[in-house]
Amino acid sequence: MTSRWKFRLIGGLVIAVLAAAIYFPILRRRVKRAAKLQQQSEEQARRELTQPIVINPGDPRVKTKVFWASDTIDSTLVPVTVELPLSNDPVLRSKQVLNTLLAGPVDAELRTLPPDALLLAFYLLPDGTAIADFSEALATSIPSGIVSEQLAVNSITRTLEANVPQVQRLKILIHGQEVETLAGHLDLTGTFVVNSNPAQPPAADKAPAPGPGTLTPDKAPGKLAQPERKP
Amino acid sequence: MASPFNAQTQQAGLNIVVLDPAHGGTDPGARGTGGIRESEIVLDFAIQVRRALELQGFQVVQTRQGNENPSFDDRSATANAQRGAVFVTLHISSTGLPGTVRVYVNSDLPPVADSNGLIPWDRAQAPFLGLSRKFGDLVQGFLTPRFKGSPDAAQSASVRQLRTTAAPAIAIEMSSVTVEDRADLDRMAPGVADAIARGAAAFKPSYVVAKTPGALP
Repeated sequence: MTSRWKFRLIGGLVIAVLAAAIYFPILRRRVKRAAKLQQQSEEQARRELTQPIVINPGDPRVKTKVFWASDTIDSTLVPVTVELPLSNDPVLRSKQVLNTLLAGPVDAELRTLPPDALLLAFYLLPDGTAIADFSEALATSIPSGIVSEQLAVNSITRTLEANVPQVQRLKILIHGQEVETLAGHLDLTGTFVVNSNPAQPPAADKAPAPGPGTLTPDKAPGKLAQPERKP
Repeated sequence: MASPFNAQTQQAGLNIVVLDPAHGGTDPGARGTGGIRESEIVLDFAIQVRRALELQGFQVVQTRQGNENPSFDDRSATANAQRGAVFVTLHISSTGLPGTVRVYVNSDLPPVADSNGLIPWDRAQAPFLGLSRKFGDLVQGFLTPRFKGSPDAAQSASVRQLRTTAAPAIAIEMSSVTVEDRADLDRMAPGVADAIARGAAAFKPSYVVAKTPGALP
């Protein structure tokens, strides 16, 4: 190789290194920006899919009873009254109250459901059987144990009982699937009794009073073949 | 595990306690920050409970002896193959007031249609709910004076393990794996074991055993 070609080769390499040094930081910024955009769009899509509830300011503000853990009595629930604009549509109303329950109380220690759990879908069948589909976090992030799992399910059923009288029974799914237990203890193969009385539309200015803390057995047959059980 | 029970020679009345240390194998159950695993502690508890029950004259059958994880149905099958047995499943919670113990019986189940004399597997507990309640209240009655802050009576819950068990069946859950020192839980074992044994002995006269295993009480 002549010295002339050597000079050309070295010059080419120097230019390539300089170009790479200039372009690499730009490329890195672009990759970071793309990853961030993808993360944002996934989060946005998830929120759009799971929380399509529009709070209508025109809806009447209702005193809503949400059941969280008591700060004085161990492993029991207490109703907390919050004023919310609630829809009269039972499905929308159910989503609104359950999302409020999931959002949690001011004191995070009194939560009954994991903070990362989401309500993915909610359906109400004509016979009063509701189906609530929660994200996997409900099962994976909840503290394992009979007492904690029962507190979680009771907070869901009693919050629905107090605010959505059309819901008579509740079937809980995890990510669209029936699961045997919530976190190894509480049976999710059946339905839970919510309201045993015939459904009456809620008054616009007043939420129905909750029961005395116990759920009553329901004799009405549901469409789901699983046996009904009280939580 | 193999059961020493023989249906031909079985005496009438309650004489077997099926002990179920929950979880095991790949399922550690509740886990504490200090490395406490529910599956290990309940297995250790079972040894003391077994000893206390044998002192009261009961035969004890365990659903697991080591670190394995039989299915819910396998555990129920162990109990359902016995005659004159009660079932006790042992748990440690991950919440609740430390040092308390709760007894659970299964929530109400739809009544069993006794058209062919068989109990549907998925509702095997239904005919035994009344007896389970009585047994649970007795055991809780012995636990509460020892473990302050525990409830006065057995609680109802849809405990999966109990639903398929065709015998008086209770779940006992101690609080909790959140204790800093495992010794705090270990200290509870003798009191829990004694309460279960006394509860089973007190329950014995009220349990009339059916003629065939798994039949209605």
